[in-house]
Amino acid sequence: MSTVGLAQSLWLLVAALGLALSVRYAGAPMLGQSAFVAAGGYGVALLGPGGVGLPLGIAVGLAVLVAAAGGYLTALATARLDAGYFALATWTLAFLAQRVPIAFPDVFGGTEGITRPAPAELVSRTLGIQLTLTDRINLGLAAGTCLLVLAALHRLSGGPAALDLAALRESPELAASLGIAVAARRRAVLTATAALGGVAGAGSTVLIGVISPADVSPLLSLELLVAVLLGGTLLGGLRLGGLRLGGLRLGGVAQWCGPVLGVAVLSVLPGGSLALPWPGALAGAPWRAVPVALVLVAVVAALARRSATDPPARPWPPSPLPAGRPVRHGVRLELTHASVSYAGVTALDDVSLTVHGGQVHAVIGPNGSGKSTLLDVLAGGLDAGTVRLGGLPLSAGSAPQRARAGVVRTPQQPIVLAGLSPVQQVALGVRGGASWPQAVLRQLAATPRSRLQTAQLRATATGVLTALGLSQLADLDPARLTTGERQLLQVARVVATGAPVLLFDEPAAGMTAAERGQLRRVLRGLAEDGAAVLIVEHDLRLVAAVADRITVLNAGRVLASGEAAAVRADPAVREALLGPA
Amino acid sequence: MISGVLLQVVLAGLAQGAVLGLVALGFSLIAGTARILPFAHGDIAVGAIFVGVLVAVGATPSAARLAGLPSVGLVLLSLAAGATLSGLVAAAVVLPNLAGPGGGGCRHSSLGWIAGGLAAGLLLRAVLGIFLPQQAYAVPDPLRIDLLAPGGLLRLPGGSTVAVRAVCVLTIGLAVGLLAEAVLARSRFGRSLRAVADDPVGAALCGVPARRVVFGAFLVAGLLAGLAGLLAAPGRALSVDDGAVLGLHAAAAALLGGIGSLRGALAGGLAVGTVQALAGYAFGSGCYDLAPLVLLVAVLAIRPPAGRAQALSPARTSSAARAPSTAGR
Repeated sequence: MSTVGLAQSLWLLVAALGLALSVRYAGAPMLGQSAFVAAGGYGVALLGPGGVGLPLGIAVGLAVLVAAAGGYLTALATARLDAGYFALATWTLAFLAQRVPIAFPDVFGGTEGITRPAPAELVSRTLGIQLTLTDRINLGLAAGTCLLVLAALHRLSGGPAALDLAALRESPELAASLGIAVAARRRAVLTATAALGGVAGAGSTVLIGVISPADVSPLLSLELLVAVLLGGTLLGGLRLGGLRLGGLRLGGVAQWCGPVLGVAVLSVLPGGSLALPWPGALAGAPWRAVPVALVLVAVVAALARRSATDPPARPWPPSPLPAGRPVRHGVRLELTHASVSYAGVTALDDVSLTVHGGQVHAVIGPNGSGKSTLLDVLAGGLDAGTVRLGGLPLSAGSAPQRARAGVVRTPQQPIVLAGLSPVQQVALGVRGGASWPQAVLRQLAATPRSRLQTAQLRATATGVLTALGLSQLADLDPARLTTGERQLLQVARVVATGAPVLLFDEPAAGMTAAERGQLRRVLRGLAEDGAAVLIVEHDLRLVAAVADRITVLNAGRVLASGEAAAVRADPAVREALLGPA
Repeated sequence: MISGVLLQVVLAGLAQGAVLGLVALGFSLIAGTARILPFAHGDIAVGAIFVGVLVAVGATPSAARLAGLPSVGLVLLSLAAGATLSGLVAAAVVLPNLAGPGGGGCRHSSLGWIAGGLAAGLLLRAVLGIFLPQQAYAVPDPLRIDLLAPGGLLRLPGGSTVAVRAVCVLTIGLAVGLLAEAVLARSRFGRSLRAVADDPVGAALCGVPARRVVFGAFLVAGLLAGLAGLLAAPGRALSVDDGAVLGLHAAAAALLGGIGSLRGALAGGLAVGTVQALAGYAFGSGCYDLAPLVLLVAVLAIRPPAGRAQALSPARTSSAARAPSTAGR
C-alpha cells in the first residue's frame, strides 16, 4: 500500500470524524462536508506558497479558519430548518463547492484545479525550522491528527457535553425547554465539523499538491456520510447481537469508532473517492460507482429495520458522592395584562396572574380556555403582557433564556428521549443552561474538576430520581416506560433543573391512581421546598388535593382566582365547569 | 438585434423552466403529502429517459430521427420508467422510513429517508453508467418537435426567430402541469392526497389508506418526471449524472413556489428557468448551473419552509394567517 494513499485515507478519516460530530452526536444530517474539505484545500492552495505566498503553516491555519467560518455561517443560515431541509441545503453546498471552481477558472483553475509543488516546504524563520514535508512526514501528521481527534471524541463521549448534544439530537424542543441553548450548541458543532473538514482538505492538498473539483465532488460528501453511518450500523449490529469485544462498552465506542470502521470499509471498495488506489484498469471500470451505491443502500436498509439508530451513550461510573438536592427560595412569578389571539380567535384576553413561592397554583378551565397559551407566555414561547420574576421584569425571550432565568415547564405531550436512559435524561435537567465551552474544554483536558463534575451530575440526577420515588427507573430503556412513568420522568427532568418556578402542563394525563398519588406528593414537596408551582390540570380531584390557589380560565378570561376553597365554592365556576345547574 | 437574442434566451429559459416545473410539481406533491423531500427525484427524470432510450434505441443513441414504432415505444417506456422508478424508490427507501400508521421506524426516520433517497439516486446513476459509460449522449426526439417549422425556427413579425422546440416544450409543459393540478384538485385521489397532507394519522383514522396515497403521489410525480425527461432531453448533450443537479434545480423551483402548492411549483419552475438562462447569458455558461443552486440556498436561508409542510391544496390558506398575534399592554 502506498504511503500517499494511506495518508490520503487518514486525512479523509479526519473529515469523517468531524462529520460524525454533526451526524451521530448532534443528529444533523450534514451532506456538505466536501464543501468544507474544498474550503481547506483551495484555501491552502490559494493562500500558501505559489498562491498569495504566505508561509505554509499560516496558510493552513487560515484555510481551516475559512472552513470553520463557513460551518458557522451554514449553521446561522440553516438555524430555522428541519432535518430534511437542512440536508437539502447542505447537499446544495456540496454541489456549489464543486461548481464554483469550474465557473470561475481564473481564480480556482477550472476543472484542472490548482497545482502546487509537492513535497511542500515548511519554513519558519522565527522558529528556525526548515522541513520538507515528505509523504512519510505527511502520513505521520495525518495519523497524529486522527489520534488527537479520536482521543478528543473519546473524552467527550461519556460526559456532560455529549449529553447536551444527545438532547439536541433527540428533541431540540425539549432541550430548549430545559434551558440548553440549542442554536448555540448547533453552531458550535457545525463549526467543529467544518473545521475538521478544512483540516482534511488542507492536509491532503499539501500531500498531493493538487486540488481540483473532482477531488471535492458531492460524492465525497455522500461517501463520508456513508462511512459515518456504516461504521455505526456495523458496531450497532454487533451490540444488538449481544457481542462484546473484550469488555469494550460499544455503546460509547460506536460513536467515534464507527467512522474509523466506515472509512476502512470504503477504502477497500473500488471506485469511490475514499478508495485506496487500485491496481490496473479497475479505477476506470464502468461499474466503479456501483459498490459505494450498494453499501449506501445496505446502510439505509439497516437504518430502516432498526428503530434506534444510536446506541445509548456510555453509562457513567458509579458515583462516590451522596445525593444532593436542588435548593430553592421563596419566589413570585407575576403576569400582567397578557392578550393573545390566533387568526381572530382570542386565546387570552387581558389575563393577569401571580404564582407565589411555597404554593401550588392550579389553572383549570374547559378545553380552549387558554390554559396552554398561558403556559407558553409564562415559559417564554410567546411574548405577551409583562412577566416579572421576584418583581423584576423578564425580557421577552426564548424558552432557553426563560429557563435559565428560573422558569421551566413540561411539554404537554410527553417527549420520550429514546436514546438516553432516565437518569441521563434527569441529568440533562440538572445541566440546564450550564456553560458548555468550559465544560467541553475541561472534559477534553480531563481535569480532576471535570471528573468530579461528571460524578456530581450523576449523583444529583440519581438524587432527584430517588426523591421522586423513581429510583427503580434509573437505567431502564425509556421506550419501555408506561405513559404514567414517562409523565413522572418529565416532572423529574424539570424538577432537576432546580428552577424556582416550575410549570406543569397536564402532568397527570395517563397516570394511574398510584402515580397520581406520587405526583401529588412530589408537587406538595416542591411547594414545601419554597418553589412556585403552577399546574394546568383537568383532573379536578388532583387539583382539589394539591392546590393552594386556583385560577379558572374561561374563553381566555380569568373567571375566578383565589384561595382553593373559595374558588371551588364560586357558583360561576361551577357553572363554567359543570354547566348550568 | 440584442433584444432578439435576449428574447431567445428568455424563451429558452422559460422552456427549461416548464420542464423544471414538471419535476418541481412532483417534488412539491411528494414533499407536501409525505412530508419528506424526494432526493432522488431529479435522477428519476433523467433515469426515465435513459431507460427508455436503452430499451427502445439501444446503448448508442444518436439524435437521428426515429421511425414511428420506436418513437411511440420511447415515449411510453420513458413515462412508464418514470412511474416505476419513483414507485420503487417509494417502496424501497421512503415508506419503510416513514413514521405514522403502519410505518416501520418512528424515530430518526429522517436520516433514513434522506440517505435512502440519495442512495437510490446514486444507485440509479451507477447502474445506468454501466450501460452508458460515455460522458454525455445525444437523445432522439420521439415527438419530432423540430419538424413543426422549417429548420426548427419560428419567424416572428419583427424579423427575429425563436426555436420552435422552446415554444412547444413551454406549451406542453405548462398544459400538462395545469392539467395535473386541475385533476388533483377535483379527483377523489386528490382529496385523499390533501387529507394525508393535512394530517396523516387523522386521514388514516377516516379510512384513507395513507401509505397507499403516498405511494400514489410518488407514481404521479414519477410520471411527470418521465415526461419532463422526454421534453428536456432532445437537442442537448445529456449525461447520466445530470439528474442530481436537475433535482436541486427543481427543489429550488418548488421552494420558490411554496411547498405543497402545485401551481406555485410550475411558476417557480418558470422563474428558476428564466433566472438560469439570464445568468448563463450574462455571466457565462458556468453560472447556468450555479444560479439555481445559489437561489436554493438563499430561499432556504431567507424564507425557511415551515417544519410542518403546508396543506396540499390549490387554494391553501396562508401560513401567516395562523401565526399567533400577541398584544401586551
